[in-house]
This record gives sequence, structure tokens and C-alpha cells, in this order.
Amino acid sequence: MILADGVILGAEEQPCLLDELEDRINHTREKERLDTETVIAAIDQLGRRLAAGEFDGLIEAVGLGDKMEDLRSFTRLLSRDYLQRKVDVELGAHWDVPTVTEAAFGLNGTHTRAVPLGTLFHVAAGNMDFLPAYTVVEGLLTGNVNLLKLPQADGGATIWTLQKLIDIEPRLRHFLYVFDTPSSDVATLRRLAAMADGIVVWGGEEAVRAACSLAPPGVKLIEWGHRLSFAYLSGDWRAQTHQLTALANHIVRTEQLLCSSCQTIYLNTRDMTDIELFCEGFLPLLQAAREQHPMEDIGAAAAITLKNMASEVEAMMTGSAAEQPGKYRGRQCELTACEDSELTVSELFGRVWVKRLPEAQLLPVLRRQKGCLQTAGLLCDERDRERLTDLLIRCGVNRVTTPGGMSDVMMGESHDGEYALRRYIRMVNIEIPAAENHRTAPSLNS
Amino acid sequence: MKWMNRLFRYPLPYDTEGSNELFLRAVRENCRYQYLHNAKYRAILDGKGFHPSMLRTYDDIAALPVIPTLVFKHHAMYTLSPRRMPVKATSSGTGGAFSRVGFAWGDLRRGLSMVLRVVGYRRLFSLRPANYIVFGYKPHRSNHTAVTKTAFGATLFTPQLHRTYALRYTDGRYVPDLEGVIRAILRFSRSRFPLRFMGFPSYTYFAMRMLDERGISLRLPKGSKIMLGGGWKQFYREAVDKSAFYALAKKVFNIDDCNIVEFFGAVEHPILYCDCPRHHFHVPVYGRVIIRDVNTLAPLPYGHMGLVNLVSPMVMATPILSVMTDDLGVLRDGRECGCGLTSPYLEIIGRVGLKDIKTCAAGAADILKETGGSV
Repeated sequence: MILADGVILGAEEQPCLLDELEDRINHTREKERLDTETVIAAIDQLGRRLAAGEFDGLIEAVGLGDKMEDLRSFTRLLSRDYLQRKVDVELGAHWDVPTVTEAAFGLNGTHTRAVPLGTLFHVAAGNMDFLPAYTVVEGLLTGNVNLLKLPQADGGATIWTLQKLIDIEPRLRHFLYVFDTPSSDVATLRRLAAMADGIVVWGGEEAVRAACSLAPPGVKLIEWGHRLSFAYLSGDWRAQTHQLTALANHIVRTEQLLCSSCQTIYLNTRDMTDIELFCEGFLPLLQAAREQHPMEDIGAAAAITLKNMASEVEAMMTGSAAEQPGKYRGRQCELTACEDSELTVSELFGRVWVKRLPEAQLLPVLRRQKGCLQTAGLLCDERDRERLTDLLIRCGVNRVTTPGGMSDVMMGESHDGEYALRRYIRMVNIEIPAAENHRTAPSLNS
Repeated sequence: MKWMNRLFRYPLPYDTEGSNELFLRAVRENCRYQYLHNAKYRAILDGKGFHPSMLRTYDDIAALPVIPTLVFKHHAMYTLSPRRMPVKATSSGTGGAFSRVGFAWGDLRRGLSMVLRVVGYRRLFSLRPANYIVFGYKPHRSNHTAVTKTAFGATLFTPQLHRTYALRYTDGRYVPDLEGVIRAILRFSRSRFPLRFMGFPSYTYFAMRMLDERGISLRLPKGSKIMLGGGWKQFYREAVDKSAFYALAKKVFNIDDCNIVEFFGAVEHPILYCDCPRHHFHVPVYGRVIIRDVNTLAPLPYGHMGLVNLVSPMVMATPILSVMTDDLGVLRDGRECGCGLTSPYLEIIGRVGLKDIKTCAAGAADILKETGGSV
């Protein structure tokens, strides 16, 4: 399926559309302008209608019926207030109004204006249900023309959402083209990439590498890759049952599948005994959280049980049982007391690594994951909070939260250390000629 | 091997209740043999704190340590030396690895005795010659899969005139030849002898659909049958509703659903499960099925979905006495079926696995691939 000019087209129309797309986009960019207010008003209305249940039938039809609750909570991020604040924080309240820099130091003054990057080609990942639509929303907020390549398993939800948005605000239709071209159709992707000023790529290393190979020279590559997160516990954790319960809930609720999900629980210690004591103390909390949020996918639960069972039998057969790292098994959850300190992805689904990481080792160890670090859920004594927060930031962490709030959206937060909207605009300068002194202004070319 | 042999000569192939005591004795006999002659098996039982002497009552069978079929994919676990195993079979190897199971002469004798009884019960033997279409692999010396051997075996239920295979061995690999099969079906449909199909349900269904799309509707000779085996595994997404399959068979071949028979089995549990006229897989006396909770592995009552644990004392050469497959299934009270058999019946719901999991945690995709692909 393709969405072009607000109309859904079949794949057979793709060659024809691609042939004329460049001209259409050029025409839009020459003649039309999309202001933030128009976009916000349309998204706000879509959000309100979603929250009111107006589209529930359609949501069921595209197979997202079981995600209804997530969708309702997601609509908060579509509200006028939220979007306006996002724009204000990321770009400034009057970002599209030119500012004047007076002439000084013998240099001419300028009008400085933030304008859209131009055309964005979004290569969306399939790891979150509403992500493809959301990345386009960010492109629209900044006034860009958006070409979206859908992830393979989209199920129609994105095209449907964006079509509704165009129904609400028809002026968006020339700023939005959606293609369900498979990743294997490199020729089409290359053509789309050639029309773009920026390629916005979401996904793992493989997806990013593939996007790099598509990008012609001069096209800005905007990468939102996968990340790793962890909890860092310092001081006496025993007294923090409430916070640890929140951490346990976070682990089982996200199934550790998000960038911001806790993969490893680090203790500020050198002593393996502390790790073992923690595992003994934390397992009942994790188990209790799991009982409140059981694994929904019986096939996944069975796969994990079977894999554990096979490793146990194999260990018995080969007599290697003693060499296995300390496992603390609960029902549908597990802690592993590890000897090493590396930050690695866990076994997911409520199965967490617990490792030692003394404060002095934080930087050298975490730096080994530079570029991949995201959230640290920090639990510590109040007097240590500032120092540890600062140290975690120096390690490369981009978000510091409470252990239970690692995956919560925070107001005004950046995305992996950057404000997304800023990456989708460019700053242009228009010289203010000063008749009396422009002849004396030094030239960079001189 | 007194009790094992006796079990496989038991005259009523579906009298599981009446054969419980005999089954227990045969399991104990097999377990003791494996324990004494297979060091790996003994290590597992010792590790689990289990000894064959603990099999005192029929209910104790559920406590017997269960070996996931996955383990047979990673380890050769033969109890006997190779020269005492005339046949070695492998699983189909979905996902790359395949299980290796060896059979001794005694195992094969017991197997043959079982096949004669089960197939006889379903009245599949006939002296009237038949043509065969095999929707499966043409036997080749490099192919050791059990599914190939059983498909070939099914062509021996009657004297055979011709066999045509859907998967031919050409230039070192198997290639599907559905067009060739269609030509053969059209040719055999004009014969006065029955036509029998045997093989993968998926290929059978594809071929029927191809005929249907071409507007071909045949009246196959009386006595023609469709026999299905090998499961849907490779084509899980294409799995069709059974009633749609039967309706298409009626439309394209004029074969009634009472002449469609499905087999189920696994190389790690080589018991022949054959569906009843109501298309349910009743458990024959040679095996028992325990459905286990996906988390606790505790045995579940009838009607609950869980992991499928299959128990059979048929094989001496490999310790496949109690294995856990990577299927999810439900066991139902045989009386619910209504076909007259009272032994419980098994429904396979699907395969275990981490499907359609979405993640953005760095490196998690590899973890999922590993977990989903290796089980």
C-alpha cells in the first residue's frame, strides 16, 4: 500500500508515482508552507478522537485491539499542550520567527531564520507500534515533506492513522507519502533516498548500515539506533523496598524489550557476596511483580522454559553444572549473579543480569558501550545523588531516572541526547546589507 | 525386554486404560536398561535425583526426567553401539539442527508390530493395487529423515503400481515438482485402480488449490485416499483450517473426509498417531502424553494448553523414553470425541517460540533469534 496525496494506492501505482514524485515535491516546496500551528491542531484533534474511542472499530480491524490501553495513554503525547511544549523546549517558542543579529566587529548583521531541512526520508523500525507515525509527526511539526518507508510488519495501522490526519487537515496531504516497499527493494529505496535532504533511520546496527549505503553524498543521516540501559544501586538497597518494587515492575512490564529497559542491575560493590545477597532479596520482589504482570505470550514462556530445561539437562550430561553462573530462578523471571561487569543485553522477559560495578570502575566499563548507552535508573543515598548523577553523565548516559521510571516519558526530555526537532531544521542567514560599511567587511575568501 | 515386547503386542491398540500396568512395567524396564547402559542418561537421572526403582505406580511416570528434543539435536546419545543399530533416523531439521535417533532390531520389530495394529485398525491395508502420489521427499541414500522413511512406508500399505514424488532429488538437492505431480494426478485419475496420496499437508493443499484454480475437478477411482503426515511445521503460516481442506478434497478429488487420514509422529517419539474418523489423534497404548504447564512443568488436566511431553518405551537404542517436543498442545478426554475410542486425544496447537517480538534494546534481536530459532 502507498499513501500519496491523502489517497491509498496499490503497489502497482508505485513506478508511476516515483517517476513524478520529485516534481510533486518540488512543487510543494516551492509553493506551500506548513506552519507548526496547523500541524499541532490536526494532531490534537486526532488524539482527542482516538481517546474518545471514535476509531476503536478501525483499531480492532488493523489488529491492534489488544493495544487499546497503550494507545489511549499514547494520545497524551498527541495533545496540543504536550506538542506545543515539545516544540517550545526543543526549538524555542518562536522558532520560525527570524531573529536579527546586529552588525558588529565590522561585520554585517543577519536575519537568522530556522527553516525545514526540506524532505525527510524516514526508514521506520517495527519495534514500536506507533513509531512510524510518530517520526512523521516530528517531521511535520518542523514543516518538512515526509517520505516514510514502513517496517515490514506494520499491519496497516500507520497508513490508517496518517490518512485520518490528512482527513482532519487536508493541507498536510502534500507533505506526506507512505510506502510499504520491502527493505529488499533497494532500487526504490535508493530513489526515495535521492529525493531526500535527510534520512531518518530507526533500528539496529543493520538498519543503520543499510541506510548509510542508501544515502547519496550530502544527505544528512539522522540515526536513532538501539540503546542499552541499566539500573545502578549504591548504598544500602535493603531499606528501599518501594523503589526496588518499582524497578521489578518496570522489568516485567517492559519485558526488557525497550531501549530504556533495565538489562543489568549494577551494585556499587566489589564483593560478590553483595550480589548474591541482592539476588536473594530481589527475587521475591521480581516474582511478585511477575505475578501481577504475567507473560502474555504462552509460546514465548514455553520457549524460555524449554531452553532452560535443555541447558539444565545438557549441564547434567556433560557434568558442567557447577560451572554455570549463579541462577536465581523464579516463575517466569530469573536473576543471574555474574562475575563480570560488562553492560550487555539480558536474556529479556524478566531475566536480568546482576553485576558488580564499583564507582571507580563506572567510566572505564561503561565507556566500552559508548554510543549505545541510554538510561541509568539510579538508586542511592540522597547525599550521593548529585555526584553519581554527574559521574553517570560523564560515562555517556543520556537519561538518569528513578529505577522504576526508566521507561517513563518525561516532559521536555531529549531523545538519546538530542532534541529530535532540531535535527530536522536548518538555520539560514540572510545578510542585512549595511550600505555604509559593507565594503569594509572582511571577506572569508580574501 | 519382556514387558516392552508385550506392550507392543497388546491386542487392543487404543485401550490405554487397560494397559496402564503393562505400560508402567515396560517403562520401568526401558528406564532401567538406559540407566545401566547409557552414561549420559544415567547422569541426567542422577542429576535429577531419580532412579528407575522409583517407578512404582503408573502415576510415577510423570516424575521420570524429561529430555527436550532439543538435546538430541546437540548430542548423539546412543545407548547401543552403531553395529547394533541397523537404522539411524533424523528429524526434518527445521531451523538447521536435527535430532539423531538410532533403532535396534528389537525397536524396529516393536515398531512394525505397532504399525500393523494401528494401520489395521484404521483399515488402510488393502490387497488392491494403488497408484501413489507422495507429497514428500523421494528417498535418496543421503536422506535419513524419518518423514521420508514413513512416507515411503505408507506406500507399502497396498501393492503399488506407480509412485510419483513432489520433491525430487536433482543435482544434490531437493526441488519441488508440483507440475509433474499434477500431470501424474490427471494420468492416475483415469486408471481403474485407486490413487493414494501420502505426505505433507501443505504440499497436498497447494496441489489441490492449483487444480481448483485451473477449474479441474476429478472423480478419483473408488478407494482413493489422502494420507497426511509430516505436519505443518515448515508452512505454519499457510496452515489451513481442516474443514477447508476436507471441502477442497471433496471438490477437487471427490474424496470424502472419511477417506482422509492424518498421521502424527516425531523421530524422538516414533509412535504412530493416526487420526480417528472424527480426525482426532487418540493416544495408542504404545505411548502416553503428558501436557505440562509452560512455566512450572507440572502435569495439566485435560483441556489445558501446555508443552507436550511424550512417553514411550519402544526404543532401546536411544534414551527417548520421555521427551519434550517443541510443540504446544492440549490433551482431551477421549469420550468427548464420540468416535467410540476412549483413549485421550492430542491436539497440536502450534510451536513454542518468540514470534513477532518487537524490541529496540541494543543486541536484543540476536538474543531473540537464538531463543526462537534453537527451540
